Amino acid sequence: MKTQPDAPRPRIRVLPDHVANQIAAGEVVERPASVVKELVENALDAGASAVRVSIEQGGKGRIRVADDGCGMIREDLLVCLDRHATSKIRRAEDLRDIHTLGFRGEALPSIAAVSRMVIDTAPSNQATGSRLRVLAGRMQGVDDAPRRPGTTVDVRNLFLNTPVRARFLRAAGVETRAVSEVLHALALANLDTRFVFESNGRTVFDLAAGRELAARIGAIWKDADAAVLIPVATQRGGTRLFGVVQRPDRARPGFRRAHLFVNGRPFRDAGVLAAADRGYRTTVPDNTRPWLFLFLTVPGGQVDVNVHPGKAEVRFRQRGRIEDFVESSVRETLDGIESAATWGEPRPLHVVREGEGAGQGAKVAGDPGAASDEDADDDIAQINIFRARAAQAEDAAASEEVYMPRAPRPALLQIHNSFILAETRDGIIILDQHAAHERILYEEMLAGFEGAGSEGQRLLFPFTIRLTKPELEIVESVSETLARLGFELAPFGHEALLVQAVPSPHRYFDAEQCIREMVQELLHGSDLTRSANNQNERVAMSFACKGAIKAGQKLAQEEMHELFDQLFATELPYHDIHGRPTVVRLGLGELRRKFGRS
Amino acid sequence: MRLTITRQNLQRGLAAVSASIPGKTTLPVLSNVLIESEDNSVWISGTDLDVSIRVRVPAEVTQGGAITAPGRKLLALTRELPDQPVELRGRGHQLEIGCGNSRIKLNGLPSEEFPNVPAMDFEEGWSVSEASLRQVIRGTAFAVSTEESRPILNGVYWEIGDRMTMVATNGHRLAKMEVAAVGTGGAAGASGAFIVPPAALAQVERLFDGDGEIEVGRGGNHLGFRSTNQEVYTRLIEGSYPNYEQVIPKDNDKVARVDKEAMEAAVRRMAVLASDQTHRIRMSFEPDRVHLDVMTPDLGEAHDELELDYEGEALRIGFNANYLIEVLRNMPAGDVKVAFKTAERAATVVPAESELDYLCLVMPLRLVD
Ligand SMILES: Nc1ncnc2c1ncn2[C@@H]1O[C@H](COP(=O)(O)OP(=O)(O)OP(=O)(O)O)[C@@H](O)[C@H]1O
Ligand SMILES: [Mg+2]
Repeated sequence: MKTQPDAPRPRIRVLPDHVANQIAAGEVVERPASVVKELVENALDAGASAVRVSIEQGGKGRIRVADDGCGMIREDLLVCLDRHATSKIRRAEDLRDIHTLGFRGEALPSIAAVSRMVIDTAPSNQATGSRLRVLAGRMQGVDDAPRRPGTTVDVRNLFLNTPVRARFLRAAGVETRAVSEVLHALALANLDTRFVFESNGRTVFDLAAGRELAARIGAIWKDADAAVLIPVATQRGGTRLFGVVQRPDRARPGFRRAHLFVNGRPFRDAGVLAAADRGYRTTVPDNTRPWLFLFLTVPGGQVDVNVHPGKAEVRFRQRGRIEDFVESSVRETLDGIESAATWGEPRPLHVVREGEGAGQGAKVAGDPGAASDEDADDDIAQINIFRARAAQAEDAAASEEVYMPRAPRPALLQIHNSFILAETRDGIIILDQHAAHERILYEEMLAGFEGAGSEGQRLLFPFTIRLTKPELEIVESVSETLARLGFELAPFGHEALLVQAVPSPHRYFDAEQCIREMVQELLHGSDLTRSANNQNERVAMSFACKGAIKAGQKLAQEEMHELFDQLFATELPYHDIHGRPTVVRLGLGELRRKFGRS
Repeated sequence: MRLTITRQNLQRGLAAVSASIPGKTTLPVLSNVLIESEDNSVWISGTDLDVSIRVRVPAEVTQGGAITAPGRKLLALTRELPDQPVELRGRGHQLEIGCGNSRIKLNGLPSEEFPNVPAMDFEEGWSVSEASLRQVIRGTAFAVSTEESRPILNGVYWEIGDRMTMVATNGHRLAKMEVAAVGTGGAAGASGAFIVPPAALAQVERLFDGDGEIEVGRGGNHLGFRSTNQEVYTRLIEGSYPNYEQVIPKDNDKVARVDKEAMEAAVRRMAVLASDQTHRIRMSFEPDRVHLDVMTPDLGEAHDELELDYEGEALRIGFNANYLIEVLRNMPAGDVKVAFKTAERAATVVPAESELDYLCLVMPLRLVD
């Protein structure tokens, strides 16, 4: 939070002991990056619209942070180096609802104690400024110094009086990278602030103010464009989430960029990251690590930032709720067409800015009724395959009896008996019939588990399947789950299974082959079954995969339409259960570009 | 070859065989039709190798012969010709068409390349009435399986002897109809049993639309249907058909009698709300009444009631609504008897009033609550 307009009277006070004692204690200054973090946080708290950070030798030689914030009057400058001297809180209660990055009054004294520091500062309504010089914690003098409004803190010879700590510093390159990372996080959280970073006199980056999140991410990382990020904006009660996450088809195993923020403050949290990853389940292969940039806004009092000396971690009052919210928000995001794989160049990301997100653009988690209709970009978020051409035909279809041939809808084209091509309002999409039906079956089966299970079709000609002993054992071990999918199986002698009822997921379903393949998969395991959380999921996944309409199956128009309708009624229509897309889209814009018409 | 034919006759002949011209084919001659003169008529043939159709139309033949020409093009062209006599003339592999002032040449292929129709033994065959054959086809062929692992069930089982019986099933429901085979027994009443692809039966039903007799003959793995002016040949599905008699329950003693229209209408209403995957609906029979219920999570639920004659014990049973609808749709108008033993066993549906020997059977869904 930005500071109050500066007043002529002093603002900094030393916290009384009983308040100071409640502040998480520990080492604040570990390396140049922590110095930069503290100084830039101070600049941001001072309401800076531009922050310039210059370092030499990875910050070991010199660190300078200059801002155009509110500055300090002489009286404040003289106390700001005292321990627990802060303008940001007054009372113990303030600790419960902190709106600034700083609150301890620890940073400047801790840095000053181990370096040679010079602070130049001028408040915005005064003509002259002041310069304070400190050496290893000892004040060397205060002078008048002309300066534009703002503050510059110059830190040299870090750890000059603690040679052991100086020795633990890494090579300049490593320290520089750590400084960069600190700045990246703060720059992502403060889009309205310009950030300039110079190292040894060279500009490393210069991030313009006032750009939207995606643009800033793109300006920071060259590989961000190819990563393809899609916007998240959800709200549940007073808690909001906005940001961007990686489109599932672009996510890869291994390296990821993941940044979490709460109320504008970067924080680390394995639990929240894991929750976001859970939101991706079944849309990406199991070992995949999608990029995440998530900004939480929680009501005051719901988060405690006073738990870690470096403020790197926070504590949520209701951690479970926050994790649930993050998981369901990510999942909802992946339910939109933005999350579908595209063909060709990814579209540039929407404009997302904090504050705008939850207002008009956001889906509201926990309020599914509101979610679907209120989408900011109705054009794409609400897929409506047929509206483009057949608004009337569709209305007519709605009034037809289901068993009569439906009123004509635009023809769907089946390609090589495996893919289905359809026109959409903003281009075309191609659907993978097997992947799509997998998603449909999987969700259907999971829904069935919530109730009593799915009804199996009893067979006029029950049949037997010969199985080996281990195969029969695996069937036995999941027999209850199989029954809930609709299978009625019973041992038949010692080497066979009698099949009396089977699910009937489509007209081309081969129950015997499905059972054989499921048994093999469950017996030997597969990437798919290993990604399941429990037995129900494992068996449902295996059934969805083996029981779904196969590639190569010719489908009637009516069946293709049904496949579309059912797919888009699922929770995650754009993703199959292996973490592959069900749908690839090609926008009109891209199509025009490909033909050189744009 | 040289002949004159009316535009209408040419179009009729071509339209009749066009259904057997394959859409895509790797054998170019199959997209052609074969035109052969015979006395004062011409045979037009088309085939996709599984089903072949031959149709004879009157023509004035001045010079006998045969030629092939692209079937769809020829049909399209015939539709556009003026209503005047059409002269067809084979010159090498080209078919010349003259009509009014129009002169067209279509490139064909040598008639020898066109596949021969399989040799049939009609002498040793059977004779059935067109009308009864159509009736059994309509009553049963709908029930064939679309799943390909058991090709036998993809065909319609046809037994012919003193009477003829047709059966089709996909293992979830079955339809069976038996009629007297008028004029049966060309060869001393020998009986036969075949598994016929439904596509061929669809052509038989379409082409033999009169009330005459059809000769049926068998040749190796093929079956032929013929009357004076049309012939249909089909490959048969090989294998032995499952013992369907054995699975038709004889002891279904809980019998409901109901107007088929009323029942079908009620089931259709329920079907709208049934799950897309299972199409499940439930029926609860109690004396003189049946309750129909459907409950689909995320969609909604529906309830309906129907008065009927039922005296058995109360029974709750689940069905795939689509199967019931198909069966009821095919029943003759009037009342049907729907009979059960238990909620796990096959339900049978038969006409209550008509003489027709027609039975459909539907396996229930396993109820899970
Ligand atoms: N760049 C700046 N511009 C204006 N005022 C500043 C600046 N840096 C520090 N101050 C003032 O000096 C005070 C002490 O700063 P310091 O960083 O030591 O403590 P803090 O920010 O209050 O808390 P924390 O130790 O958590 O960072 C601040 O409260 C603020 O009033
Ligand atoms: Mg600070």
